[in-house]
Amino acid sequence: MSTYRAPLADMHFVMNELAGLEQVAQLPGFEEAAPDVVAAILEEAAKFATEVLDPLNRPGDVEGARRLDDGGVRTPAGFKQAYEQFCANGWNGLAKTPEFGGQGLPHLVSTAVEEMWHSSNLAFDLCPLLTQGAIEAIDLVGSPEQKQLYLPKLISGEWTGTMNLTEPQAGSDLAAVRTRAVRQPDGSYRLAGTKIFITYGEHDYTANIVHLVLARTPDAPEGVRGISLFIVPKFIVGADGSPGERNDVQCTSIENKLGIHASPTCVMTYGEKGGATGYLVGEENRGLEYMFIMMNAARFSVGLEGVGMGERAYQRSVAYARERVQGRAVGLDRASKAGAIIDHPDVRRMLMTIRAHVEGTRVVAYVTAAALDNARRHPDPAARRSHQAFADLMIPIVKGHSTEVAQEVVSLGLQVHGGMGYIEETGAAQYLRDARITTIYEGTTGIQANDLVGRKTVRDGGAAARAVIGEIEKTAAHLTGSADASLHPVGAALSEAAVALEDAVAWVLKSSASHARAVHAGAAHYLRMWGLAASGWQLGRAALAASRKLAADEGDAAFMRAKIGTARFFAATLLPQVAALGRTLMHGGETALEVPAEQL
Amino acid sequence: MAILVIAEHDNAALKSATLHVVGAAARLGSPIHVLVAGSAAQGAAQAAAQAAGVAKSIHVDAPHLAQPTAENLAAQVLAIVQDGGYTHVVAPATGYGRNVAPRIAAKLDVAQVSDVTAVVSPDTFVRPIYAGSVFATVQAKDAVKVVTVRATSFDAAAATGGAGQVESRPAVPDVGRSRVTGQEIAKSERPELASARVVVSGGRALASAENFKLLEALADRLGAAIGASRAAVDAGYVPNDYQVGQTGKIVAPDLYIAVGISGAIQHLAGMKDSKVIVAINKDPEAPIFQIADYGLVGDLFEVVPQLTAELAPR
Amino acid sequence: MKILVPVKRVIDYNVKVRVKPDGSGVDTANVKMSMNPFDEIAVEEAVRLREKGAAAEIVAVSCGAAACQETLRTALALGADRAILVESDADLQPLAVAKLLAAVVAREQPQLVILGKQAIDDDSNQVGQMLAALLDWPQATFASKVEVSGGTLVVKREVDGGLETVEMALPAVVTADLRLNEPRYATLPNIMKAKKKPLDTLKPDALGVDVTPRTVTLSVAEPPKRKGGGLVADVKELVAKLRNEAKVLS
Repeated sequence: MSTYRAPLADMHFVMNELAGLEQVAQLPGFEEAAPDVVAAILEEAAKFATEVLDPLNRPGDVEGARRLDDGGVRTPAGFKQAYEQFCANGWNGLAKTPEFGGQGLPHLVSTAVEEMWHSSNLAFDLCPLLTQGAIEAIDLVGSPEQKQLYLPKLISGEWTGTMNLTEPQAGSDLAAVRTRAVRQPDGSYRLAGTKIFITYGEHDYTANIVHLVLARTPDAPEGVRGISLFIVPKFIVGADGSPGERNDVQCTSIENKLGIHASPTCVMTYGEKGGATGYLVGEENRGLEYMFIMMNAARFSVGLEGVGMGERAYQRSVAYARERVQGRAVGLDRASKAGAIIDHPDVRRMLMTIRAHVEGTRVVAYVTAAALDNARRHPDPAARRSHQAFADLMIPIVKGHSTEVAQEVVSLGLQVHGGMGYIEETGAAQYLRDARITTIYEGTTGIQANDLVGRKTVRDGGAAARAVIGEIEKTAAHLTGSADASLHPVGAALSEAAVALEDAVAWVLKSSASHARAVHAGAAHYLRMWGLAASGWQLGRAALAASRKLAADEGDAAFMRAKIGTARFFAATLLPQVAALGRTLMHGGETALEVPAEQL
Repeated sequence: MAILVIAEHDNAALKSATLHVVGAAARLGSPIHVLVAGSAAQGAAQAAAQAAGVAKSIHVDAPHLAQPTAENLAAQVLAIVQDGGYTHVVAPATGYGRNVAPRIAAKLDVAQVSDVTAVVSPDTFVRPIYAGSVFATVQAKDAVKVVTVRATSFDAAAATGGAGQVESRPAVPDVGRSRVTGQEIAKSERPELASARVVVSGGRALASAENFKLLEALADRLGAAIGASRAAVDAGYVPNDYQVGQTGKIVAPDLYIAVGISGAIQHLAGMKDSKVIVAINKDPEAPIFQIADYGLVGDLFEVVPQLTAELAPR
Repeated sequence: MKILVPVKRVIDYNVKVRVKPDGSGVDTANVKMSMNPFDEIAVEEAVRLREKGAAAEIVAVSCGAAACQETLRTALALGADRAILVESDADLQPLAVAKLLAAVVAREQPQLVILGKQAIDDDSNQVGQMLAALLDWPQATFASKVEVSGGTLVVKREVDGGLETVEMALPAVVTADLRLNEPRYATLPNIMKAKKKPLDTLKPDALGVDVTPRTVTLSVAEPPKRKGGGLVADVKELVAKLRNEAKVLS
């Protein structure tokens, strides 16, 4: 048995000591996010996650979403009520604009809250997450009328939203989108085409669903600059805001997936009966451009899913390791009789590896969220720009690295359970299956790695990358210079990682043109270097903060010591991989391409 | 100076908890007086006088004491205490005693010690806190000690063998302002949960109210009371007064059979003083097995009927 | 009608309580604290009475250290209109709390006080009854249903073996049992609004209440652990052991 408990102590520590909640709360518009209010919000969200969402996670996995003969979709028992409660309690509007009924809280706060949703029930959480995408798109480029018509209901959760990008032939390459949109005399459009992988494309939660659809107009130019964005509501919305006539859009099937069974992944067919009515959002042919603006937020959210899934796997495996009595723990006094497996050194290694990855990626994500808040709200334009540059660099790391290590984490979590882990009833296997999608959707790890190389490193000549490495080196110097000798090895390992990273950046800059294929063949290694170095950096900062707290006799001493211990573990076992990966990057890329394709 | 025990009774007879309270009172000192406040409660008053160790049964009879409100009962107790020179006022830690005792304590401007499980000395008591996960030893400083005692923690005084007198006292007037207007007591052939010798309890794994019938069949064989975990009560399978645990009944039968109960600390708090605990659960990791004397891992829907059959008269 | 809802800050229901090594008490440092769950039920009942139009104002009150403000904010987020903290770092025992509350009642003049039947830390189950006694008000403890019509209160109470209905004139004290209701979750907008609702602080001295403890906790200890006796293979073995080993079956 394991019940999800939000890691509130760690969340508060990270928000307050490392991500600068106090500073974020001083940004214009965020005045309400005072630490005590944030604490109350997190507490109530934690309760909801534990009491409502977590208990539905496994039943939802077993029952799954089902498509009905009439084209409707039935979500698993309890999900609709949970959704209604979720919305009634205002969670849907946490970070949304107050202008249309949201609470306008900082991204940093919504990050902690969303992590809880991800941990407790990823399949449930995907619906509000996709609605968030639709809200952002309409908020970004919708007309005032569109905002009035759709935003209040999407923010309250009375309606949900979907993102319709992918088509069978257009996955990572959206330039290949074929869905057609033909302008009508009244200014609306008629859409026809098939979209796949549409999360919550159909469901039984709400009276209406607002689909955001990428499509081409007949005279649009080929490629990425010929795609437009449309609103296609399931029921056409009257001027008074009430859902009216059923639109020509159907869920024609739902996918059988490895995981997230409770989340219906739909094939959506538009225009089978003559054309679905759609409304242009923004300007024609600029749809992909809009998508790119929103992409940061979506990718960040998926990265956070990796953190959340990892945390859940951690809690379950620790609970199991404490209870499971098996064998004698080597080298302990009490080894005369069988003890809990948590005392076995190899089990401890696994649990610490999980913990170190989860805590490291959590800080990186929260710090990035705070940067996004500053990039949006800081009064000084120069500060806004530098925060944006930092966030831009970190987004592919949050998305790519957090989800990749989540695969290792959920797998280790299962491993801790031994044979029981392989049995579905135990619950550990579900995390493995559910987490598997996170390295794929919203841009695969390969795409994140290419983004990190191309747009985030090469484009500015390595400026943002080097600025961050400079910060890492500063932290390393603080650690090695600390009065607390237990931090010195963390500083040394971090400094070594920073050097390796600097070399890697230099190599990428030098080789990106001359050896483009080799650089991209090594891009995933480059991403992992960054991910590990960023986690090590932030855990180093955490150790410094914890050491300060201990010296001042503030806070929970056992918690602070565990923070330092986690940083030491990370520095000793995971940070050394950065230098090794640097060698892999610089020398391994070519070898991935040596064997010709036809030999594979 | 004397000990005043507030009897819980149904007018005709004493409730079993009362004799346990007398047993506890014997450890505080003597003489022991038992107050039987009721209506046509001569039977209960007589029984109280006969209990071992009781010096005197004080019988107060009035219509408004038939099913007394806390207000009326407290007023009556105060009238006795004020002219009687008592060192202790002792009541059972049952719904009846818990309702009235703090009212008496406040009126006397003294502290109350609730739910006493052991008497260390006349002013020092052991009581559970935090759902029984911790036991506190508490010393009461006030001149009069008001305590409620957990009946299951003390042996009952013998029902006979005492040579007490019944003394009649006049009732204080009806306080008014509140009255009992109705009662829905579940009629049951089964023994009272709090005092049963055998208890069969069901948890959420029973999965429905209907399935509790399985337990009834077993309880019938054993002459047992039926209890439930909070989860089963919350799920609506059985009424609230079936609940065994921190916020429900505290039981300590000779035999406690926990069926489909995982063993949350709050439940364990209510039954872990049972002499023999049997756990039936399909999850071998369920915490209940860590305290059960006999654990049986299996599907309750198979095991319980088998057990019922096995217990058929030989 | 005005309702006063006393709430207590306690160690969270889910926390495994630890005794301090010196046995002087339980460790409360860096432990998650929450509103006493029975008080949460009391707040919910008050809010429902207001929603039904039976009450106009709900005042939450807590006695204890400054940190009790968090608990009061929770009550405000759940729907209380304003809050009063009776601030004291002393060990406030049930009688002292009842006296403080009686003093607050004298200032606020509510017609109804609803509170939890017991706090899950000291499990005393006293404050409601004591408060009623000090005020000379009728009490309805262990309530599972509360109805107010005019100046009359009708309460179904949990008693051993079933339910009892009591009827009383207001003002009165009600203590909430588990089945009275299922408390709602605080909504996000209400959590944020709670920060802006008034919260006044009073001191016991100002209320003229002597809070000197009347009992002394000499020591606390964990009960001896009950050891599991192991598993039996089947029903036959179980019955045999109950008959021959434990001797609890004839």
